[in-house]
Amino acid sequence: MASLATLLPAAGMRWTGRNVVLVLLAVGLAGGLGLAFVGLAPNRILSSKPLSLFAAARPGFVGLLGAGLALIIVGAGARARRVAGPAVLAGATIVFVGTFAAAGDAATALVHAAASPSARVSLGGGFWVIVLASALAMIEAMNRLGIPVALRFLAGVLVAAILAGFAAMGWFDDLSIVREWANRRDQYASALTEHIELVLAALVVALLIGVPLGVLATAQRNLSRRVFVILSLIQTIPSIALFGLLIGPLTVLSDAVPWLRDLGVRGIGFAPALIALVLYSLLPIARNTEVGFLGVPPAVVDAARGMGMTRLQIMTRVSVPLALPVLLAGLRIVTVQLVGLAVVAALIGAGGLGSFVFLGLGQTATDLVLLGAISAILLALIADAALRLLAIAVTPVRRS
Amino acid sequence: MARKVLGILAGLMLGVAASTGGANAMGDKIVVASKIDTEGALLGNMIVQVLEHAGLPVENKVSLGPTKIVRTAILSGDVDIYPEYTGNAGFFFNVDSDPAWKNGEAGYEKAKSLDAANKIVWLAPAPANNTWAISVRSDLADQNKLKTMEDFGKWVAGGGKVKLAGSAEFVESPAALPSFQTAYGFKLTADQLLVLSGGDTSATEKAAAEQTSGVNSAMAYGTDGQLAALGLVVMSDTKGVQPVYEPAPTVRAEVLDKYPKIKDLLDPVFKSLSLETLQQLNSKIAVDGQDAKKVAADYLTAKGLLK
Repeated sequence: MASLATLLPAAGMRWTGRNVVLVLLAVGLAGGLGLAFVGLAPNRILSSKPLSLFAAARPGFVGLLGAGLALIIVGAGARARRVAGPAVLAGATIVFVGTFAAAGDAATALVHAAASPSARVSLGGGFWVIVLASALAMIEAMNRLGIPVALRFLAGVLVAAILAGFAAMGWFDDLSIVREWANRRDQYASALTEHIELVLAALVVALLIGVPLGVLATAQRNLSRRVFVILSLIQTIPSIALFGLLIGPLTVLSDAVPWLRDLGVRGIGFAPALIALVLYSLLPIARNTEVGFLGVPPAVVDAARGMGMTRLQIMTRVSVPLALPVLLAGLRIVTVQLVGLAVVAALIGAGGLGSFVFLGLGQTATDLVLLGAISAILLALIADAALRLLAIAVTPVRRS
Repeated sequence: MARKVLGILAGLMLGVAASTGGANAMGDKIVVASKIDTEGALLGNMIVQVLEHAGLPVENKVSLGPTKIVRTAILSGDVDIYPEYTGNAGFFFNVDSDPAWKNGEAGYEKAKSLDAANKIVWLAPAPANNTWAISVRSDLADQNKLKTMEDFGKWVAGGGKVKLAGSAEFVESPAALPSFQTAYGFKLTADQLLVLSGGDTSATEKAAAEQTSGVNSAMAYGTDGQLAALGLVVMSDTKGVQPVYEPAPTVRAEVLDKYPKIKDLLDPVFKSLSLETLQQLNSKIAVDGQDAKKVAADYLTAKGLLK
């Protein structure tokens, strides 16, 4: 059974930019037209009736999407790279931004036409497929055009700014997920803050513990083996179980030691969530630190020693800069992991974006669940992008 | 050497956990919590707003978590007030088979006296019975003239085409469906049941409203807000088979002694919440999607309960 990666080579073709765009085009068309674009529900509890792109979006927007699609097809068919790249990029951007606009507009039209004021319009599978396919096409086009990474981030920020502009003008206000947010703005703001605080606190503590642990592991191999076995075991404990297991001991501890209670360490809430998240982050951080430092070529360290540098100077001027890319990669992975894990923390009273997920599950209001989930995903993507930029900025070796 | 380092690191972790969690330290504020469901959010927000309006220092921990978490929190003193159901006291103290729970007043008095041992005071309950019930699609109810559980029992026993969606706990717990069946003379076979794992009535009611897998009847709670919106009708428990679950604020005695005003502030609020009122308020949150904080505020202002 051929995997996707071996699909083209097996047929004697290569994964060229053109082929990638063609695959994305096929997937985008199939999903976008075959799946529901939006869903219309009589209220926020009942399931929605699926509506296709042509049934939901107004003709002007369908035309806009068609124009973007045409540009992509032109780009995919063009021979010259100078034409193909920009055409695909422009077309994909139009499709990406246009799909959001079409969905927002369709929601407004449908809600106004609906009989009851509780009617809700939610985003369907077709919407997501088109958005993802066009985003990937944009990234592929920028890749093949050889646009530097920093400019790509800038392009991403620009697109995000356009969407933010649409949002500010109220174009998305009738989408169910935005309605859910609008109904509980304060709660959302504090949940988001709690979530970010939890992740940042866990990162700081995990770095303070994990990095020294990783450095120790490079020096003492026996300790390293034992420590990593324990940390790996901790990774296998399901997150909900770990949160639950910490409640008992922490309650006992905070009852026994009164000044811990006064400082805010309790069986439920922030403390057990923080400790669990730190435990989950220790393995990746310690492991990446160890690998990073072990990856520093001994010859370089030797040369530095030969130049008369002290142990501290070798560490700060040689080892750390060379190990930094690996460390930052580990940090990036851990941050994304933590944003996801922190969602579960709502179950033990630590708040955060997870509270919307569980409230939504309790009310069978899918859009409330999505509010929490999509916010967490976006947060993770932003953190990932930011840390990638940081890694690029900090990498000492430049490829010519 | 390594052990020393590990020891320091462990201490560091606990220290940072303590200091960063310090923002949540108790101090002198009254910590108000509630369960992480619709009614919990509503009642919790009402308590917060009433106390804050009267000038008391409040820390808002509404929608903290499921019952176990919130009850553990109040017992350990992490939380000072939260709304609990009188019938639940039977489960907390393992005396749920006692017939006193079937009567609203008797149940309340029993809960109050049992929890005195934990130094927790139960304030005045709301006259609304948020207990397990069986609800039926309104078209079905109209067709077969079903209003009470007796009608329902007779109709099922007489061969009525029924499929009930309920949680595993509801179907298996001797106090729930089995006691309905014994009292009203009917028995649901396995293919007349759709068992869901969680206790969420919104899921069961949604199934009945959309007739998923042929379901036309759903487990419900008395004060569910979405029943009317989903076209479901509750079969009234005329024989009083189920324990009575009336919501009441539970307060730590220590905090009540410090702020005795709490009783005078909360009693009129809870006494004003009838079954219909709670259903309407819950419906605004669950069906219309309004924020519980706003629904609570609008209600309290309209009733002039904010002093």
